[in-house]
Amino acid sequence: MRKISKTAALAAVTMLLASSLAACSSNNGNNNAAGTANAPDNSGTPATAAAESKPDLKRLSIWQSEDYNTYPVAAMLQEKTGYKVSYDMLPQDKWGEKLNLIMSSGEPYDVVTTYNDMALYSDYAQKGALVDLTPLIDEYGPNIKKAISQESLDALKIDGKLYAIPVVVTYKVNSSILIRTDWLDKLGLKMPTTTDELTAVLKAFKEKDPGGNGDQNVSLTIRGDLPMLDNLVGAFGMPNTWNDVDGQLVPRLLDPAYKDYITYTADLYKQGLLDKEFVVNKDATAKEKFTSGKAGAIIVHWADIGGISDALTKNIPDAKFAFVSALKGPSGEAGFSGNAGFDRLTFVPKASKHPEDAVKWINATLEPETFKNLAIGEEGKTYTFENGAYLPILPAFNDERNLSNNYMSGTDEQNYPLYWQARARKNPVQFAAFDSLNNQLPDEYKIQNILGLAPYMPEYAKNNLQLESMAGDYTIKLIAGADTLDGLADFQAKYKAAGEEASAKEINDWYATVSK
Amino acid sequence: MRSKTIGSLCFDAGIYLFLTAMGLITLLPFANVLSKSVSEEWAITSGKVGIFPVGFQLDTMKFVVTSSQFLHSLLISVIVTLVGTLLSLLITAMTAYPLSKRELPGSGILIVMFIFTMMFSGGIIPNYLLIRQLGLINHLGSLILPALINVFNMLVIKSYFESLPESLEESAKLEGARNYTILFRIILPLSAPVLATIGLFYAVSFWNDYFNPMLYINSSNLKPLQLYLQDIVMNADSSSLNRSADDLMNVPAEGVRAATVIASTVPILLVYPFLQKYFIKGVLIGSVKG
Repeated sequence: MRKISKTAALAAVTMLLASSLAACSSNNGNNNAAGTANAPDNSGTPATAAAESKPDLKRLSIWQSEDYNTYPVAAMLQEKTGYKVSYDMLPQDKWGEKLNLIMSSGEPYDVVTTYNDMALYSDYAQKGALVDLTPLIDEYGPNIKKAISQESLDALKIDGKLYAIPVVVTYKVNSSILIRTDWLDKLGLKMPTTTDELTAVLKAFKEKDPGGNGDQNVSLTIRGDLPMLDNLVGAFGMPNTWNDVDGQLVPRLLDPAYKDYITYTADLYKQGLLDKEFVVNKDATAKEKFTSGKAGAIIVHWADIGGISDALTKNIPDAKFAFVSALKGPSGEAGFSGNAGFDRLTFVPKASKHPEDAVKWINATLEPETFKNLAIGEEGKTYTFENGAYLPILPAFNDERNLSNNYMSGTDEQNYPLYWQARARKNPVQFAAFDSLNNQLPDEYKIQNILGLAPYMPEYAKNNLQLESMAGDYTIKLIAGADTLDGLADFQAKYKAAGEEASAKEINDWYATVSK
Repeated sequence: MRSKTIGSLCFDAGIYLFLTAMGLITLLPFANVLSKSVSEEWAITSGKVGIFPVGFQLDTMKFVVTSSQFLHSLLISVIVTLVGTLLSLLITAMTAYPLSKRELPGSGILIVMFIFTMMFSGGIIPNYLLIRQLGLINHLGSLILPALINVFNMLVIKSYFESLPESLEESAKLEGARNYTILFRIILPLSAPVLATIGLFYAVSFWNDYFNPMLYINSSNLKPLQLYLQDIVMNADSSSLNRSADDLMNVPAEGVRAATVIASTVPILLVYPFLQKYFIKGVLIGSVKG
């Protein structure tokens, strides 16, 4: 009796399990075959297998000003890949929080693309919210393997597993000092090439009134939240946030050159050569001063040049400007921070219903011709190819491919930088600025940001933002004379305790393995 | 009247002038945004635009108002506001009515329970999970359902109901009317002033709501106007440090942002002056009888 009841119970449990499994699989079948009513009957035939292998995918991306679903790129990708993808987007403000909410509630997105936020990415990966892509790429991703360098993939590995595919940054140098060359000409000065010459030029801007503003001239204006002035930090040998000092990576605040940098910039401020009001300058305020003809120089990203040029030449028709090339500092160093690393990351959440198809789809977008079309469109329609360069056809390029970078999950790392220059060429003045900082600048001045391709490091990821803002605030105080270098040692101790020490150890342990 | 001295007249004039000036100051930011929306972009970048437009043009405005995203969002906002307000009024009144009856058993506890939700809420994550379980993520219902009853508004209506003479209902009952008939045929028509006020409160809050859509709406064709506006207006500079050139080149121009602000403010601005008197009345109802 006892035996029988046990068997019966076992049988009952097995039946229950089997039926629940059956229910599951039939559910899945229905999901996959969305639209084909008789899928279960002939699931073996190739026709339905093909239909089944291309389910509709759901993708979540960052904010853009136009609807992803109706922008021309979406239709092109659907045609080329055979997958219908419906796109949702994160808000522009607080996107990270919204993403946390979506990820934690298990919303079934198949592909999620965000800004490159290592902390967020590693957090998801470690909490098991992401699909390990390595086996899927091995099986379904030949194009992914070809397009994306091993270096990039290695930088994204977490505990040996790969959870994301990157979009790389396509150019090295961002910003420099933009200077009014017509002011230089008026005063008979040459483009500065050293920090001392820069001081002399700024002094002349202030004293000789080339702008006709009387005593209102501002020699160099900057925004209040970026006290590490591009080009100048390079002249003092610390172009990046962490630089190699005798084989060790050291953050700027602890760099032996930090004192010299502060002495130089604080002196500029004291002499009135650096905008007296820079502490309260917003990005727009600084640009106002430059474009209205009050300021002789400004530190900006080359991508801002289009707007600046329009506004400046409307106000002062004969105004001319150019980027100051790498300035040599007192000890002969010079250079810019060279971008390395990623702009966007794309991953597949665990909640995805079709992880294989997500990878297949990404693979399909990286098929070389499809990717080229994605990046710059069709020859003769949105771009032309002349003298080895891709030129955009306006306004078609703006209408159809301006936002196409938002659709990329990964990039053809060999060709994309060249395709990409079509974007920089949308405005000739802007391209000239881009060109002078990137194509014409000798490579020795593009000092690669070593941490750009560093793998995930928990301490560094945790402390980095806070350390940066600590160092930034302190530097502003020093430059504006609200604090003096006497307290530097104390502050450095505080800085170390706030997480620098732990980060530095981690970073240098890794650095030792790559710098050999 | 005649007895006013020159001195006191001057004093009054001074006060009026001062108050007028203060009133005008509040208009300055609005005037600034308005003139930015019709100025040339170069003038905005170089900080020339103050209260008056520089390089007057209407292209930006036209671009914004005719963009399909804007029109779509406007439509969503109008739908949510209309449907939401009507449903809210109905449900709120239907909740307030029984609670206004002393003879309802346990009405005291019920009211305490309602007031409890005024003070405490489950928080964002539980709310999100609830909405998700209800299948309302990416659904307009998520914008209406959570805001259907505002307890404060319900209490205002309830106290208005309480102030109506009970004999009205008694006589209706004698005539054979049942509860629903009494509510819809007698009580509600008598409550038009309070319903107009509360309706306006609801309409404004549905129109201005951006938090619920920010949480629950992911799809761009279901975004209401306020969320669209927030996305456009959110200044990209503060975070531009981490953004690539592509993003910098695609930041909406200042003029476009200003024009979007104006275009999405005007509809509700047009409604306000005509309904303002109800607002004041509504506040009085709440304060005197609540």
